Amino acid sequence: MNKFQITNGKTIIKPFNKIWFIIAILITLVIILWQFITYDPSMIDMSQLFVIVKQMFTPKNTILSQRTWGDYFAFMWELRNPLWITIQMSIGGTIIGSIFAIPFAILAARNVFKNKYISVPFRFIMNLIRTIPVILLAIIGVAMVGTGVLSGIIGFTVFSFGIMAKMLYEAIETVDMNPFEALESTGANKFQAFSYAIVPQIFSPFVSILLYIFELNIRASAILGFVGINGIGEVISVNRLYNYDRVGAAVIVLFILIFALQLINSHVRGKLQ
Amino acid sequence: MKNSEKVLSKKPKRWLINLIFGLSLILALFLSFQGSTINLLRWSTFGYAIKAMLNGFTEINPEFLFGYGSRQFVEGIVYMAIQTLAIAFIGTFLGAILALPFSFLAAERIVGKKASKIGITIITIIRVFPEIILALMFVKAIGMNPLTCVIAIGIHSIGMLGKMFSESIDNMDIGPIEALNAVGANTWQKIRYGILPQVIPELTSTTLYRFDINIRSASVLGVIGTLAGGFGALLLLASTDPHNQWNTIATLLIVIVVLVLIVDNISAYLRKKLV
Repeated sequence: MNKFQITNGKTIIKPFNKIWFIIAILITLVIILWQFITYDPSMIDMSQLFVIVKQMFTPKNTILSQRTWGDYFAFMWELRNPLWITIQMSIGGTIIGSIFAIPFAILAARNVFKNKYISVPFRFIMNLIRTIPVILLAIIGVAMVGTGVLSGIIGFTVFSFGIMAKMLYEAIETVDMNPFEALESTGANKFQAFSYAIVPQIFSPFVSILLYIFELNIRASAILGFVGINGIGEVISVNRLYNYDRVGAAVIVLFILIFALQLINSHVRGKLQ
Repeated sequence: MKNSEKVLSKKPKRWLINLIFGLSLILALFLSFQGSTINLLRWSTFGYAIKAMLNGFTEINPEFLFGYGSRQFVEGIVYMAIQTLAIAFIGTFLGAILALPFSFLAAERIVGKKASKIGITIITIIRVFPEIILALMFVKAIGMNPLTCVIAIGIHSIGMLGKMFSESIDNMDIGPIEALNAVGANTWQKIRYGILPQVIPELTSTTLYRFDINIRSASVLGVIGTLAGGFGALLLLASTDPHNQWNTIATLLIVIVVLVLIVDNISAYLRKKLV
């Protein structure tokens, strides 16, 4: 079946299809790795999922705590303080991390510094920093300065630094280098040429990356509460066992914030281009 | 006034934009530090903390790392790394398979403009929930175990992958399908010979990229509970008493960095091979 005779006398051999081989490898890997997923089949009760969703988005109403919709929305208003803390940490981390990232991004860009011995080690350091999860950075922050806004800022700073440095050097590498060369040919030094030819070109990517990182940080703040960082994540983690309605309220507030940020981001990005 | 001076006077007012931008950054920075109390006791021991962290790197307990001797293999951090890998791999696998039908439903090319709106809406709703919220919801239904993390990552991946899959289906070349129409192929044959060969490399590359992201989320998703798998138990241990757990933090840092770097490089290598 794999050999075909064509009318001009040539034979064609159908190429071996690797797809079944790849599928077999994938299934073997899944079966091997499945052994590490331990679970108790008797505990699974999918109907609980609907119960949870109902508990999250309606006020808790049991014998011990009878709350009304008024309490539900009053709690949402109370959330403004943790929300402000979250926003503070995200803004501080985004700005400090991004500013620190600028020199690193310039050093890692191959079109400004053509020396390979400069860009490769800097890229490696940035890759290393980018692999550390923000939650671990936050734990290190807590260990160094104690719980509070500052530890969150430290965690977000390092996290933002890694992303900003990577995205900014990619942006720098895509700029048009002709103005740079033209300025150099008129006798401008490297710094002048950079600030007049490249900075205007990377200004708008910088702003849109800044906003994107801010959004990422706000999203990440939901998980940071589990390691004792203040803010909206703390509300979620503290109430996750008994007060599902409060978790639901915090989730709604967080979603509204993220949604608003996305709208602002797309608006600003549209303006910048 | 010379002509060149006239041109210079028309220079765009960049400094004004820069000034406003800079001032707003400084103002935002000022606001962000407002009310942040510096724990002076902790701050005075900052140098000590750095020294302790560096010491932690040298005092890594190999029994703790590999799980032998006084510890069982399941208590070792290498077991947790493999478990994290398993959570991310199976979650991505599950997500990719389930994302396919959703993406076909959301692709304009396949179901038409009106029906694709429904698919896009479903995918967007799935994507809105972060993994940690999904995990919290599934804990009650499945229990505190690694399967919860797998399901949470799988469902979140459906939303992310479904969007990108449907975009790559919409961007494919219509020519081969027209050719198959011309020779009288049926729907299944059109999918098998016209659509799949075109989209599979792109879908695989998207899935590999998602696997990169999922290994990062899987390594931290365990914080929902001690038994939730991955590095969760250690992260919780480190976070309850961080100033005395430099050893644990250092071990975690090394293992997570190595794990993510390995997965990143494998996936980058495979993606390069595909293109």
